Amino acid sequence: MAGGADDYWNALLDGLDAGVVVLSREGRIDCWNAWIATATGLQAEDVRGKSLQEVLPGGVSRRLENAVKAALDSGASTLLTHALNPGIFPLRTRAGRTLLHDVAVSSIATHPGPSCLIHVSDVTMAIRRERYLRERQNARYDAVVAGAPDGILTMDGEGMILHANPAAVLQFGYSEDELIGRNVAFLFFESRESWDRTWRRVWEEEVLRDSVEIVAHRKGGSAIHVEISASRWKSHTQSFVTAILRDVTERHAAAAALSDLNATLEQRVEERSAQLLAAEEALRQSYKMEAIGQLTGGIAHDFNNLLQGIVGALNMVQKRVSEGRISDIARFLKGALSSAERASALTHRLLAFSRRQPIDPRPVHLTQLVRSIEELLRRSLGESVRMSVRSNDDLWLVRCDANQLENAILNLAINARDAMPEGGRLSIVTSNRTFGPAEASLRELVPGDYVCLTVSDTGSGMSPEVQARAFDPFYTTKPIGQGTGLGLSMVYGFIRQSEGSVRIESQAGQGTAIEICLPRFVGDLEQSIAIAAPPAAGHAGLDKVVLVAEDEDIVRLVVVEVLHDLGYKALEAVDGPAALRILKSAQRIDLLITDIGLPDMNGRQVVDLTRGERPDLKVLYMTGYAEMAASGDFLEKGMQIISKPFSMDKLAAKIKDVVEGVVS
Amino acid sequence: MSAALPIALDELELDALTELVNLGISQAAHSLAEMAREEVTLTVPQVRMVPRDEAIRIISEREHSKLVAVHQVFRGDITGRALLIFPEAQSFELVRAVVGGDMPIDEIIELEQEALAETGNIMLNGCLATIANHLQRSLTISLPEILHGESREFFDLEPPPPPGDLVMFIYINFALRHRNINGYIAMLLDMPSMTALKALLKAYIGRVAGDVLAG
Repeated sequence: MAGGADDYWNALLDGLDAGVVVLSREGRIDCWNAWIATATGLQAEDVRGKSLQEVLPGGVSRRLENAVKAALDSGASTLLTHALNPGIFPLRTRAGRTLLHDVAVSSIATHPGPSCLIHVSDVTMAIRRERYLRERQNARYDAVVAGAPDGILTMDGEGMILHANPAAVLQFGYSEDELIGRNVAFLFFESRESWDRTWRRVWEEEVLRDSVEIVAHRKGGSAIHVEISASRWKSHTQSFVTAILRDVTERHAAAAALSDLNATLEQRVEERSAQLLAAEEALRQSYKMEAIGQLTGGIAHDFNNLLQGIVGALNMVQKRVSEGRISDIARFLKGALSSAERASALTHRLLAFSRRQPIDPRPVHLTQLVRSIEELLRRSLGESVRMSVRSNDDLWLVRCDANQLENAILNLAINARDAMPEGGRLSIVTSNRTFGPAEASLRELVPGDYVCLTVSDTGSGMSPEVQARAFDPFYTTKPIGQGTGLGLSMVYGFIRQSEGSVRIESQAGQGTAIEICLPRFVGDLEQSIAIAAPPAAGHAGLDKVVLVAEDEDIVRLVVVEVLHDLGYKALEAVDGPAALRILKSAQRIDLLITDIGLPDMNGRQVVDLTRGERPDLKVLYMTGYAEMAASGDFLEKGMQIISKPFSMDKLAAKIKDVVEGVVS
Repeated sequence: MSAALPIALDELELDALTELVNLGISQAAHSLAEMAREEVTLTVPQVRMVPRDEAIRIISEREHSKLVAVHQVFRGDITGRALLIFPEAQSFELVRAVVGGDMPIDEIIELEQEALAETGNIMLNGCLATIANHLQRSLTISLPEILHGESREFFDLEPPPPPGDLVMFIYINFALRHRNINGYIAMLLDMPSMTALKALLKAYIGRVAGDVLAG
């Protein structure tokens, strides 16, 4: 290689920005240009004629050897890229840095046979550029992905995890190494079907438009609810899926708590309803007390009159006795007794209003009942209201609780009075009525015989709106503090319970008439008297034995006296154990009269404990706490109850009832 | 189908060609295995000679996604183009199989084009060089070039092919690291090259048969 032409070609070769090595057919170095000399640090003079193996010991791979062989033997050109063959030659840049290079091996036609051309190109710059671009892109990507609060996983087409961000590592408890290379489905082993469906959708739709919630599992096995959004993307020729997994476990727990709350809501509503009912009950009671309050003035006046009668009569008796004129004291004693009885009846009525009276439906004669409270009504209505009562003695019987009926009439009367602040007329009319289908259905009754009582006033009346709501509980037109709005609703409740009807006829400014109808009772007139029962006939007891258990000596004494008068033989016990001893003995006992509130052992316990020996024992309970007995649910067959105070006549009647088995 | 071709290979010639292709492919498999440090199985189930349009039709019917091809030109007694064709997705798998599973995905993406060029280069060189050697003819084979597109584009490269040229159509199946990748090698030959190939194959058969007779 001498002469001008050679110099020209050599200069050209040395001027190339690429390495050029030419190997002879025998594999000897023929040409070694300046670029490759600089990159290897080996000068052309030192390498010419030598093999590559000699020049670069250990630096020649099988690939390169084969490529050289293929070029020389078959004319094949071979590309050896840095990608698959990093550092084919140990090359350095002028600055001493690693020089990244591709190598092309081909054959060149030379004389006498082909030679092999090895062309080395510097790709350092291109690769640096690519890496720089990638890093810059990655930096942006990392800023988003690494900092994201949600787990982000990137999978290949088969679901193999290729990348997991720190949040995913934290979320699932697996390290990055444990996640990468595994199929993402392992995180969803218990909801595999949902996951597979989601995965298929991502492939079909490219982007999951609506996120999907799936249960995944942490490393320890605990469940985690994740909301997955995912999209498929392509890089060159390959598709990937990137999924964002948001931990919604807490939201789930909150939702579960809410649903629990809803489940218990019903129970809480029931509890509240029960509380409300109790409150309503208490309110009803206080309403009664309010009514009593309204009546108190008149009653106190009445009571003083009666006390006056008693005191006056007794004074007269005292005076006559001291004068020795005892022939006419019976008249005064009778007067005192009568006043005392009326006083007792009055307190009874008060008790009736306050519902401290057992509910006791009995046949009732409406005329007599109205008459018995007429005086009371008159007094409570005041001077400005003129009251008239129209009723006749031919009235049929009805069956209901007399006290409640009195209460209802009083309520209606008080309402009427309040509707007439300037005064007016109030009338109470009773009558027998027979309703055909039309009249009956108007009142929501079955056709038949009824006894009706109408309370009418000349007051302010009611508008249709007020009428429509008049029976609603708590509905009132009275100012706050003057009425609870329960009066009419309770009248309505009581009458409907007694299978009767309540109707309002009213026009604003035209007064109000309220009609109560109760079904006719067909039965024994003797049992019909609710008030002022006739005295019991004496000496019916014959040889029957009655045990009286009562700790109050005077009461026991009186009861025993009544029994003797009735012809019974009486045994006495001062407390529960004493009564029990007698009952456990063989002594004949036809009736036990016992106070409920006995010392040591109460009356009901005494009865319960003798049930074995005397299952059919007849019992008459006495009690001062009538509300205990009001429910009456502990009363069995052959048992009755009498509230204190009671008159001797009433006691006698009760005793007779129980012993003779008359069922009230 | 062969009967319809202007220059058809007879059955014996086609068998001989199939054998040569198999030899070439196994040579390529050997080179790839060395590079991947993993066993590589390359099989050639079928070799066919088909008109260009037929080749386009076969590929477009079978492959619906985009394709990638490694293209090399060869010159000599036989002149033409060689194409190694894969569906794009499979080409990535091929590269991944060759470079191994340890490499991060974005680095593989970065390497993909070069690695694919080199892998295709090995396979095409293996084929062409082996065939040329056995036919005792020398070829000059160019460096590889990567093409993306559809099958028609691959078969209509500049300069426009003369009418009536043929395609040696080779199905290949590639198994590496539990991956199974199917692709095609297509060699486009013009009429004179086809005539030369037929003659060379005849001579080759004569030599082989002679060896057999002599043996």
